[in-house]
Amino acid sequence: MKRPRKVLIGSSLVALLAALGIAQQQLEKIASAQTKSAVQAPKFEVDPMWPKPMPNHWLLGNTIGVGVDSRDHVFIIHRGATLEAKEVYAQENPPASDCCKAAPPVLEFDAEGNYVNAWGGPGQGFEWPGSNHGITPDSKGNLWIGGNGPDDGHILVFTTGGKFVKQFGFAYASAGSNDMWAFNKVAKISLDEGANEAYVADGYGNHRVAVIDMTTGKIKRYWGAYGNKPDDTNLGRYNPNATEPAKQFRNPVHCAVPSNDGLVYVCDRPNDRIQVFTKDGKFQKEVFVEKTTLGDGSVWDIAFSKDAQQKYFYLADGANEKIHVFDRASLTELTSFGDGGRQPGQFYAVHSIATDSKGNIYVTETYRGQRLQKFVFKGLAPVSKKDQGTVWPTRTSTH
Amino acid sequence: MKRAFPGACAVVLLLTASGIAQSPPAYRVVPLWPQPLPNHWVLGSVTGVTVDAQDHIWVTHRGADSLEGNEKGMMATPPTSVLCCTAAPFVLEFDANGKLLSNFGGPGQGYQWPQSPGSLAVDAKGNVWVTGSGLEPAPPGGRGRATGANADPDAVPPAGGRGRGDAAARGDAAAGARGADAAAAGRGRGRGPAAPAGPPDAHVLKFARDGKFLLQIGTPGKMEGPDSQTTLNRPAAVAVDAAANEVYVADSGNHRIVVFDSETGAYKRHWGAFGEKPTAAGGGPYDPNAAPARQFRDVTCVELSKDGMVYVCDRTSNRIQVFQKDGKFVKEGIVSKNTMGATVSGQFGVVSSWGSAWDIALSNDPQQQFVFVADGHDKKVIVLRRDTLAEVGGFGTGGRLPGQFLAVGSIATDSRGNVYTGEQHHGKRVQKWVAAGR
Repeated sequence: MKRPRKVLIGSSLVALLAALGIAQQQLEKIASAQTKSAVQAPKFEVDPMWPKPMPNHWLLGNTIGVGVDSRDHVFIIHRGATLEAKEVYAQENPPASDCCKAAPPVLEFDAEGNYVNAWGGPGQGFEWPGSNHGITPDSKGNLWIGGNGPDDGHILVFTTGGKFVKQFGFAYASAGSNDMWAFNKVAKISLDEGANEAYVADGYGNHRVAVIDMTTGKIKRYWGAYGNKPDDTNLGRYNPNATEPAKQFRNPVHCAVPSNDGLVYVCDRPNDRIQVFTKDGKFQKEVFVEKTTLGDGSVWDIAFSKDAQQKYFYLADGANEKIHVFDRASLTELTSFGDGGRQPGQFYAVHSIATDSKGNIYVTETYRGQRLQKFVFKGLAPVSKKDQGTVWPTRTSTH
Repeated sequence: MKRAFPGACAVVLLLTASGIAQSPPAYRVVPLWPQPLPNHWVLGSVTGVTVDAQDHIWVTHRGADSLEGNEKGMMATPPTSVLCCTAAPFVLEFDANGKLLSNFGGPGQGYQWPQSPGSLAVDAKGNVWVTGSGLEPAPPGGRGRATGANADPDAVPPAGGRGRGDAAARGDAAAGARGADAAAAGRGRGRGPAAPAGPPDAHVLKFARDGKFLLQIGTPGKMEGPDSQTTLNRPAAVAVDAAANEVYVADSGNHRIVVFDSETGAYKRHWGAFGEKPTAAGGGPYDPNAAPARQFRDVTCVELSKDGMVYVCDRTSNRIQVFQKDGKFVKEGIVSKNTMGATVSGQFGVVSSWGSAWDIALSNDPQQQFVFVADGHDKKVIVLRRDTLAEVGGFGTGGRLPGQFLAVGSIATDSRGNVYTGEQHHGKRVQKWVAAGR
């Protein structure tokens, strides 16, 4: 006897497939759309039924990284140990309930949101991070992982299937922002495969961007805010009314993402700013985002749009619970979407962001959000609202 | 569908073994319900969901004290965010399409707003009843616990007790991000949600549907035990018998059901488990291998059936007891007998486990064939046959996606057969379920 699934996905799946079919055409229209007079921006809607439920009564903890590979498979990394005891009764001995337990740290989903694979944790020949952070696929089928645990000073590379490949840097070895040997609590690694270089957001302990050789892991160059020599002096709390912007990055330096045209975009999270550099670390410009934001800051992670020009970038802001849509060339914000809450399309600490080949956005939430969500690219649309709020599919079934 | 759900398999076996022909409909979630709240409002721990005679859905939640600093940045001084978010008002009314129609709640003239709203009910006249199911006083140097209640087990006493370190606290701040980062956002160990200061809840409030105060039964901080005719002890839920002008109160801390005149608040009668005299000691620690306790432990729900029966959740006893309206015991049903109601040693130390029978709703067919049990421990809804109280189905499992639950602790049905659920703990959601195929 079969019982129907509790959650029917048929209609949304059909809608999703239709949307994916036209998304590619819409991407190609971006260039011509630029010539229209009205301000246009990429438009998104959440897919409330993506991903599909995981097996084995697994739960996600703080979901602290997302990346999409060349097959449009979505990889996330999370921290099972951040789940609370009453969420993981199945981990008790003996189990206190069938529900639930922490999923393994790394999970893979296909484009339809089906669970594909899971792995991760301590093993032979490498130091699993005390607190994993960030996950970035390369084109060769590897995943690059950082960590911001108290002793994490390293980067790990695994195959997408979970086989250890190499470790750069060391745990228990951090020695400051001018060290050439180890990192200090790496937030995220972004790749420039044409140059065989990886950009390390370094991080929660150091105050720098470090560029390494992807093969050897050797640090080739590094820099701090404005391209200055990084300095680990404690700057104290961010003050939005300070007479001049901080001369150094605050912790954490949360992303450092190279663009197609040779620039590097750095998330200076608690300073509420993005700084833009050339690949050799020459400062170009900066922009502040919701400058009055205190606490965690507004600039958490960046993903570029998938058109060849990377005309737009999407900024995950886990303090204001928004995705800000920016015109990349001018660093002007065009619109934003999202709001606080636990419903589809809402966030509690939206932390990481990535795009797939169709231009769709994937985000993960840390703290008590603990989700992976997908936003479907709906093409360019005239901007009608600066703050779009929660972006739901326009055809809802509320019965 | 291809994927096998262990829960579904268990149901199949149970059906086969017991030879029950009648099974409840399957339910599917409505993922985009309710509509997004205005004003960057967010829900705290949802402790009560009910449906009124117009099929409007009423929700109560614990508001700001159950939200963490970094999700209510607009409420901080100075604000850490001007864009997100702030606690929604305590009582919210939605229509069947999930549109927010009205709201009220909070302190006012002539009554004391609860530290922790427990549950709510709307009577046939459209009046809204809210219980104050807050916290029992913390033992010296210890942590109070919200035994009362639809009572959010997550609640933390205002003072005297040790703040429960919320693991989210460590969240992204796992390291390095100490100092400015962690402090301003109100994270850090021991900074879990805390109830506002004040005397512990011991009362029930009645409002007109526009929020006008009408009646208060009991007084916060005044608890005189299970024989009292004027005081309560962290009441978790109410049900109103409009024809008889009577309100039934699940008086959790007094381990009893107590009935008052719903217009005057005058005492009528009360009883404990099995219709016996309740004692202050209650049922003691739960042991699945012991004979059923003769006293209630945590009385967390009360519902009236169309055929005049009173259904009561004894949460940490994993059972539902059924009575006549005069308190005569009829029967009991056990739900997930092995669920512990004491404490378990968890990854972050000893935490409480809370039994299986958190709240119930009766199906709305003329015979009310089914009983829906919100099991916040196992994070699912269990469906019982009402006549036998035998388990015949269920839906949901743990998680944060639509159709999944964390601590599902309140449940209600409407006239069209839809089901609504509310989640405490980190769930903080209301979800709508429809019979599949509809």
